[in-house]
Amino acid sequence: MLVAENLGFAYASQEPVLAQVTFSVAASRMTAVVGRNGAGKSTLLRLCNGLLTPSTGCVLVDGVDTRSVPASNLAKVVGTVFESPEHQFFKAQVAEEVSFGPKQLGLNHRQVTQRVTEALARTGLQEFASVHPLDLDRTSQRFVALASALVMKPRLLLLDEIQQGMDALAVRRLETLLSEEKAAGVAVVFVCHDMEFVARNSDDVLLFHGGQLLSADSPMVVFSASTLLQNAGLAAPECLQLSSRLGLRPALYPKHLVVSWRHYLSGTDPTKSDSEAQRERILKFPSASKDGEPS
Amino acid sequence: MALIEVRDLEFHEHGREVLSGISLSIEEGQRVAILGGNHSGKTALARWLAGWLPAHSTVARSGSVTFQGQAWSELPLAERASAVQLVGQVPFQQLSGREFTVRDEIAFGPGNLALDPREIHRRVEHVMTLCGLDSLADRDPYTLSAGEQQMVVIANALAMNPRVLVLDEPTASLDPQSAECVWRVLSGLSTCTTIVLFDVSPRAAVRMAHRFLFLREGRFIADGSAEDVLLHPLAISSLGLPPTAEAAWLAKQEQVWALGVGTPFTVDGAVTAFREVERARR
Repeated sequence: MLVAENLGFAYASQEPVLAQVTFSVAASRMTAVVGRNGAGKSTLLRLCNGLLTPSTGCVLVDGVDTRSVPASNLAKVVGTVFESPEHQFFKAQVAEEVSFGPKQLGLNHRQVTQRVTEALARTGLQEFASVHPLDLDRTSQRFVALASALVMKPRLLLLDEIQQGMDALAVRRLETLLSEEKAAGVAVVFVCHDMEFVARNSDDVLLFHGGQLLSADSPMVVFSASTLLQNAGLAAPECLQLSSRLGLRPALYPKHLVVSWRHYLSGTDPTKSDSEAQRERILKFPSASKDGEPS
Repeated sequence: MALIEVRDLEFHEHGREVLSGISLSIEEGQRVAILGGNHSGKTALARWLAGWLPAHSTVARSGSVTFQGQAWSELPLAERASAVQLVGQVPFQQLSGREFTVRDEIAFGPGNLALDPREIHRRVEHVMTLCGLDSLADRDPYTLSAGEQQMVVIANALAMNPRVLVLDEPTASLDPQSAECVWRVLSGLSTCTTIVLFDVSPRAAVRMAHRFLFLREGRFIADGSAEDVLLHPLAISSLGLPPTAEAAWLAKQEQVWALGVGTPFTVDGAVTAFREVERARR
């Protein structure tokens, strides 16, 4: 769905922000982009949605070179939620804001209304439909921006720190939405500083440092590479740190850790049996975990 | 007398009740975390504590917020700025906007207190070193990364030698290493400095605070230790738990825990707790 080949970018007469970046993202995959502030993560998203043009190399979205089409065309398949959602609002009501995109697709009034109603319902914004987006709190603003992206039924969703400042309830709503999009075949690429969120939600992790892509692999592989992680100025999720210090099987998040802990206490073979896999699936925390398979 | 005293504070904004029946005493040197979900009233309370919402404001309110027995509105602005500093979530909104270097930016606040230039110089150099900003002293703050800018904002606050530092999700936009740097600086402050942290997540708070309060829909629901407050069912559902505490919670449900072993809220605490469980079970 998304391919970057030898991608490089520099803002006018400055050092390159990104250099020699190559990766691909398939449909139905959740890909996290991690790295320190200034590592080039947000710039990468702007290259993927066509708002920036690569200095070197190229970005292909569904096989189309972003240099060959206007960003407005790419917006039909690429939805973006920026880190500061208030910067992307220009309508006086939430419903108007969300309906702007589908109106540009040539849909009739009924189709637009149907899509907007659905997007507002999924993001929990029905009661704010007539409110000015700038009168909402930051979390609700992020959901308005997300609704504006989802209403276009994108095939690629780019999210920049969308979980920032959200409480556990809002994070659960977000995680449900993202897993629904993934199940529907959407490729989701999200920039995130919260390694616990990354551990719970990503299939793949792109680790950036100083404009270089240091690693592109599963969360377990990337977060287990302690030297690489340290060089990039990041820390592994707390449960992985804990499992390592306790000498347990590596665990990325709490329910994963408890299964490792049970193995450790019982001294059983660490190879997971079917019944144990089933047990891991049903282990549920009432508020902070999401259901489903570990990565 | 408490350093900051809030009594029966009611606050409405845009016709909506934001804070209701808030009473709170904060003693000098306390490290307090006020945790709450979205729409709980955290930012409004942070502003009230820091004296940013004056008594003559047009918003409907009742109750009082005092600093050493005096209402904020009775204190001259310079005294208020020396008493309390508020660090918010978005650093670039708190820079002066002047064409300053980092050094000038940090000197701006103390300069407005009409201090002796040598004292201003001493404070600026001290906080730049404390916050690791020496190498950025001659940079334009607006060319810095978000993490570096937030550290400048914290340095600005510390250069005022405040008695109270109010922090409203100060590491929300920072990468883990920058956030770690902020917590290290805050942990190293004199025990005389009172810190009140507002946050949506308990993960950072457990590293710094000794007293926790849970704010929900503008009211305090719980006040006490981490165990008392973070394990409150309403806090768990709206804030979640730190991952290590969640793992312990699940281990209890799975009966792979031991009676008498407390809930760990940090990785270091969890290593100790899990080892205790191991000893108890073998």
